[in-house]
Amino acid sequence: MKPEEISKSAEQLVDLNPAKFATLPPPYENYKESPLVQLSDDQKTRWEHSLDGVSALTLPKPQTPEEEEQLVASFLLGLEKLLTKENNWTFLQPLALSLEYCAKCQTCAEACPVFEASGRQDIYRPTFRADVLRKVAKKYLSPGGKFLAGFRGHDIELTWDLVARLAELAYRCTLCRRCASVCPVGVDNGLINHELRKLFSQELGIAATEIHEKGSVKHLKFGSSTGMTTAAIGDIIEYLEDDIEEKIGRRITIPLNKKGAEILLVHNAGEFMSWPENPMSFAILFDAAGIDYTISTELAGYDGVNYGLWYDDVQFARVAIKHLEIARELGVKKIVIGECGHAHKALSVIADRLLPGEQMIPRESSYTLLWDIVKSGKIKFDPSKNDFPVTLHDPCNIVRLMGIVKPQREILKAITPPGRFREMTPHGVANYCCGGGSGFAIMSSGNFTDWKIKLSGRKKLQQMLGAFQGEMDPEIKKMVCAPCSNCKGQIRDLMQNYEVFEKTGIWYTGLVEMMVNAMVDQDAPFVEWPSDEEDDDM
Amino acid sequence: MSWIQILTYLCGAIFIVAFATKLLKYATMPMHVRWELYPIPHEGKHKSYGGSFYEEIDHWKNERHKDHLAQYMFMLPEILFIKALYEDNRSLWYWSFPFHMGLYLSIAGLAFLAIGAILQIMGLPSSTALGSLAQSLTILLGVVGYVLGTIGVVGLVIKRMSDPELSEFSAPIDYMNLIWLGAIFVTGFLVWLKDPGFGISRDYLVSIITFSPMKDQLTGMHYLNLLLFLSFFAYFPFTHMTHMVSKYFMWDKVKWDDNPNIGDPGVDAKIKTYLGYPVTWSAAHIGAQGGKKSWADVATENPWAKKE
Ligand code: SF4
Ligand code: SF4
Repeated sequence: MKPEEISKSAEQLVDLNPAKFATLPPPYENYKESPLVQLSDDQKTRWEHSLDGVSALTLPKPQTPEEEEQLVASFLLGLEKLLTKENNWTFLQPLALSLEYCAKCQTCAEACPVFEASGRQDIYRPTFRADVLRKVAKKYLSPGGKFLAGFRGHDIELTWDLVARLAELAYRCTLCRRCASVCPVGVDNGLINHELRKLFSQELGIAATEIHEKGSVKHLKFGSSTGMTTAAIGDIIEYLEDDIEEKIGRRITIPLNKKGAEILLVHNAGEFMSWPENPMSFAILFDAAGIDYTISTELAGYDGVNYGLWYDDVQFARVAIKHLEIARELGVKKIVIGECGHAHKALSVIADRLLPGEQMIPRESSYTLLWDIVKSGKIKFDPSKNDFPVTLHDPCNIVRLMGIVKPQREILKAITPPGRFREMTPHGVANYCCGGGSGFAIMSSGNFTDWKIKLSGRKKLQQMLGAFQGEMDPEIKKMVCAPCSNCKGQIRDLMQNYEVFEKTGIWYTGLVEMMVNAMVDQDAPFVEWPSDEEDDDM
Repeated sequence: MSWIQILTYLCGAIFIVAFATKLLKYATMPMHVRWELYPIPHEGKHKSYGGSFYEEIDHWKNERHKDHLAQYMFMLPEILFIKALYEDNRSLWYWSFPFHMGLYLSIAGLAFLAIGAILQIMGLPSSTALGSLAQSLTILLGVVGYVLGTIGVVGLVIKRMSDPELSEFSAPIDYMNLIWLGAIFVTGFLVWLKDPGFGISRDYLVSIITFSPMKDQLTGMHYLNLLLFLSFFAYFPFTHMTHMVSKYFMWDKVKWDDNPNIGDPGVDAKIKTYLGYPVTWSAAHIGAQGGKKSWADVATENPWAKKE
């Protein structure tokens, strides 16, 4: 399908056929994928879904032709602004280069997990949305753009259909940037998608509800995108301390708002709710290693996420500046970021040129600090406590986009018996996204959940199964170490949908949980398997 | 002065001005936020798996070493052999490689033709040892380049037309560009058949360098080749075929730009300027007030903060 066809008037541009989706390795070789959940007739009349029958944005259909025209005009205006230095100094250079240069070689398509998983649907090619944007910019914004537009390859009709489909299409890419890493001319289609999301959010106020209203807005309003308020965080930390005491038979105090501490530790607050063992593990390890740290209970200080990274520079800057301000007020020497991939990249890399140097505070990955703890010998580990096959998931934000590859591997080698750890194929900087990147892990509007499980997560499911081939007996318990909160969310959903634990014995956890599990001082196993709960119930 | 000489100067001037404008356009864009992609070769061999300084504890306390040699060693096979395409899209590389190599060699042949012309002006014609070396290299590089280039063009056109995954995304202009280049290669080869030592071509170049009338009369094939080449030369900077520009900027200034912000006065001054830019984004949550607010204003405001 040519990118120009995006303007085609049709109820639905593409029908997703599960029979064409990429196949899965054993024991799923004969698995019959169910059709994608359809929107109800009522939802179809209300929401735009004409791209692929999926609605991630629950974007209301305009009610009048005038409203459509107005939205189309705003889109074009937004695109114009995206190409000015005043409105987009943050990304103008790579965007302008990526829009101008594409040799149309399709090398990027082969690298894209969504394109591959979908059975090579043209609309999911990394170049598809980029080409649409490129063509609109050339035809409608460049001088003489309409002259010989067909011959020059950018004769595209800018209509509401195009805009509505493009809005949805912006949420069919996980921003993993695998495509960018193989492009022979350096074009970054992931970046183009990022910029497209910004255009929609910053000009038209269109974004996924979970990352805007229920995400960055809640973060700035209540203190956390989970809705956890500044008043509640103190209690939650106390519960964690109780749970730690119950688990290890010893009470540990988690330091709060300690001025002058060496480290401000920021977690993805989702961990407190969904995987409390993760912040608990940090507390146990830091206590055992004598780390001088604190957690903040200030607005946004206890939630290291920054959803703006995925869709909006202004929301991004607001949250990042809050994080830096809090660290400065506490007088810490560095901020250490817990197991959250996008929080890593947001605060360490993207926020790095947001403020003049003197206002910056050094930021460090928890992986690096944890490796340092392991190397220091301050904590004694017994690898035999983790005596099960283990593989490692590489969160894109931390690995391909930040270059932190080795520490987590060295840690795993130190806390597992020889031969138990095996890599996925491919891994490290060539890894595949979990499928929950760019906000997908927390997005569940319309029928999007089904899409992200069956398509954006498919490649990761293939990889996780692939890592344990030959050991698929569900009695052999196997672990995917996924040291990132959002990745864990997506992997959890994948595992539930495909009943992975029941069929294969594969489960998932974070890195720190496995470290605590291997501590010599730790009597009872810390890592839990779903079958433990069943045993407890008996 | 003949019309072809005037056209040569004109096309040369268009090329220089247009290409420089393009370079300047990208070079003067604001410093963007960091957007690196690993592996970054200057991190050195010991980090060739894609590691970065973030793997070191208290990395900001360490002195940074950039392995520039590793960077060049990465770029060389990338430019000469289009390594990325070889690794990730082999079936296209089989044609893209001879095409690009053909281009490089014929450009190198042209450079030796110019060197031969300069030697001739200096009184060292092709009958002298140095002049003859320049002439031999012109012939060797030029002719091999033309042949390889032609093979590449034919292959690329067929591949682009026959592979639906490529033809869907190709426009008539893409074919035109390839065929145009192919015509330059083919006519270049035919010029060599007529003018085996490229003597007439060299004399023509001497006349261009010295702003003097031509000594020899160009043949029809010379004219055809020159017209095709000169028009392409002037047209080239306006096309996406200048992707060496993106290759430089996207690698050096984007994918490999991992310079941390450590309070460099130049960087600080830039950031301060950018934070002062007016914002005109219209979405309500931005609160830009149509450009009355700057980046510093909107980024430090929290529209949802509880009013004290
Ligand atoms: S790999 Fe790069 S040049 Fe090739 S089609 Fe993709 S974006 Fe364009
Ligand atoms: S960023 Fe990732 S998901 Fe998006 S187009 Fe590129 S490879 Fe595909």
